[in-house]
Amino acid sequence: MARDGESRSFRRKFCKLCFDKVERIDYKDDRRLSRFITDRGKIVPRRISGTCARHQAQITEAVKRARILALLPFTSDQYR
Amino acid sequence: MKLYETTVIFEPGLEEARINEEVERITQPITQAGGEVVDVQRWGKKKLAYNIRKRRDGTYIHVKHKSPATLIGEMDRRFRLNESVLRHLTILAPKESPRAIEEAAKAEEAAKAESASKAAAATTEAATEPAGEATPE
Repeated sequence: MARDGESRSFRRKFCKLCFDKVERIDYKDDRRLSRFITDRGKIVPRRISGTCARHQAQITEAVKRARILALLPFTSDQYR
Repeated sequence: MKLYETTVIFEPGLEEARINEEVERITQPITQAGGEVVDVQRWGKKKLAYNIRKRRDGTYIHVKHKSPATLIGEMDRRFRLNESVLRHLTILAPKESPRAIEEAAKAEEAAKAESASKAAAATTEAATEPAGEATPE
């Protein structure tokens, strides 16, 4: 029998954006971008989301632009 | 001249006529400076992700334009002076990536090939016998 830590089924992370063959992430596409921020509004790190470097860089830029245009929050208000 | 994307958030309370006027005030200097307005999108009233100047909503206008670089600074200045502008952002529009261009070209070629093959099929159907004469040595 596998020990606790090993019993979890291991699944390799993959870049969802590469999987969807996304060429460029648009800052206006807040629905897609909202998948890459936490409920507090932080950008999800690569080690969690499994995004590739190229797409993570695009996400970061796009999220920051979307924040300026109030399409995405800088932070979640409910914790004030 | 480079391709830019400018998004402006206006106050939510503006009437239609006023918004048209504001759009005119954005596009007019562009054409005047020898630029070109490629596209104007009105996203309408949208809920803001956070309050700006105590407003919960904003009227979004998105303009794609080719402008001389000197105009961008001037545009920025004017937006900041305009009291009914809640927020504005101008970015360099992303260049078409080489792969996207390639794919578009390929798709076009495929479409051409398809129509050509269709035409060829039509001609061979019409004249099956003469097609045999055209075979190379």
